[in-house]
Amino acid sequence: MGFLGPNGSGKTTCIRLILGLIKPTSGLVKVNGFDPIGRHMEALRTVAYSPELPNIQTFLNPSQFLNLISHELNFPDNANRKDEVSRVLELVGLREYSETKIAKLSKGMIQRLSIAQALIGSPETLILDEPMIGLDPAGVAHFREVFKNFSSQGKGTVFMSSHIMSEVESLCTSVAIIHRGKILFKGPEDEVVKKVLGYSIIQLETSPLTPQTIHQIKEIPEVSQINIANNSKNENNNTVEITVSKSDSDIRPQISDLIVKSGAKLYTIKPGENMLEKAYIEALREKNGGKL
Amino acid sequence: MKRAEVIYTFVRYEIKRAIARKKVLALVIFTILLGVLPYYALSAAGTTLIPTSFYPYIWVVGIFAVGPLFLNFTAILIAAGAMSEEYEQGTAELLLSKPVRRSDYFTGKFLGGYLLFLLILALTLFLSVASAFTFFGTQSSLYIIPGLFLAQAFSSLVFYSLAFMLGELIRRSSLAYIFSSAAFFSSYIISTFMGLIYTLTGKEIYKTVQIYLPTSPANSLPIQYALPKLPQILSTTLRFINTTTAVPSINLSIEILLAYTITTMAIAAVYFLNADISRKLS
Repeated sequence: MGFLGPNGSGKTTCIRLILGLIKPTSGLVKVNGFDPIGRHMEALRTVAYSPELPNIQTFLNPSQFLNLISHELNFPDNANRKDEVSRVLELVGLREYSETKIAKLSKGMIQRLSIAQALIGSPETLILDEPMIGLDPAGVAHFREVFKNFSSQGKGTVFMSSHIMSEVESLCTSVAIIHRGKILFKGPEDEVVKKVLGYSIIQLETSPLTPQTIHQIKEIPEVSQINIANNSKNENNNTVEITVSKSDSDIRPQISDLIVKSGAKLYTIKPGENMLEKAYIEALREKNGGKL
Repeated sequence: MKRAEVIYTFVRYEIKRAIARKKVLALVIFTILLGVLPYYALSAAGTTLIPTSFYPYIWVVGIFAVGPLFLNFTAILIAAGAMSEEYEQGTAELLLSKPVRRSDYFTGKFLGGYLLFLLILALTLFLSVASAFTFFGTQSSLYIIPGLFLAQAFSSLVFYSLAFMLGELIRRSSLAYIFSSAAFFSSYIISTFMGLIYTLTGKEIYKTVQIYLPTSPANSLPIQYALPKLPQILSTTLRFINTTTAVPSINLSIEILLAYTITTMAIAAVYFLNADISRKLS
């Protein structure tokens, strides 16, 4: 789940409430059915957290730090603890730095270490506050895979607060948009986009379309607009952007049928890019009376 | 059993953390200097200044001359940063986001710092005996060392707890050091003045105030324990190194120390268990 909101909207505060680090001034927080303040142990037994810009004890090395965390989590015996520390160090790519003082690690490495400590003990929910900050592109790609595997292998949920829309879009199946401490929208990503924008976009790459095909596409009731441009990489092909008005039906099969029957070639058909970002900006604009 | 293991984890962690800070290294260097230099100075100044009957007991100088100031101040230095430095560095947040009881963390931090203080106390005692032996020959009445260790450890608990509490309440290590030290020195100075005014006026109120100031039982208890077990001749000599006892009985010293320690620890615990865990402060 992606947790989105502008600076100061309350994302980190919300995470700190979930973790029982701060008390709500009103209302009730429940994690796994338990109050994270009064029943901290029960509430957080299956939850792990990696903070934004983590502050980690610099006098330790990664191995000692992860050992400390595994002791905190009460790992059953030394052999298990050692194996688990090795596993997560390997997973985040810090094995060769396991004995280096944390004070000497780079920002990106500390971010990796923070994620490593969250992965100890295979939690069911990973709460990540801006997890990609400080990571190099290879690191971002690596952790994208780590998080995808974490959730796709049925291990659990990734709850991620981020300002990088493309990351949220590629990783999260559902999102929540928060503004001044209140959730504006939440739900599956495409539904939130539809709800906020009132339309969705389908992008196609095709060989040049005939006026008749374009007309046929325009005739589909859900289609409100169609833009055609030359493909920037291949001038012989067209990039077609179709705006679909609010509808629950997926018209992509219908469009692809029309194009293929017209004799044109269809290279790609996919949902429009950066839709989440558009929806996010639109949601904030609406809330701020047209301003961002 | 599992809770004990978690507390033990935090105890070890706190010792490592405190040692990693340079102030502990400075404290150890001071301990060594204070454990050796006074004996060297006494020896170099000419042993005729000291009655030879005092030689076998000269090891107590290291405790009674150094204890009231240095050991209490050491306790303050260690305790004031135990909680506050974690807030300042932002490291408390991650540790407390795990499924651990806050009370276990609190207990572990308290005991870890206190254990470190006990190590410095043990080093002080060891160096006193070793230096006295080196410069003045065989030492006597060493059987009281374990009891003296416990008395001094218990005495220092009052300022250790006060500094620990202030570190938690203020969450700024430098302010916690300043306030704790101010409390210590104020109590020390006021106690001296109260004693003096009582001697001059004979009014009981001044004596009572002096007795209940925290430095009075903290400084009295080790002396109250040790003096009856040492030869009578030492009492007069020891007056030169600040060994007067403001509190009339050992039991009252223990009671006052317990009252201060329990109160400050209760305040610190209640605050910690109910307050928000602040993010990095500086």
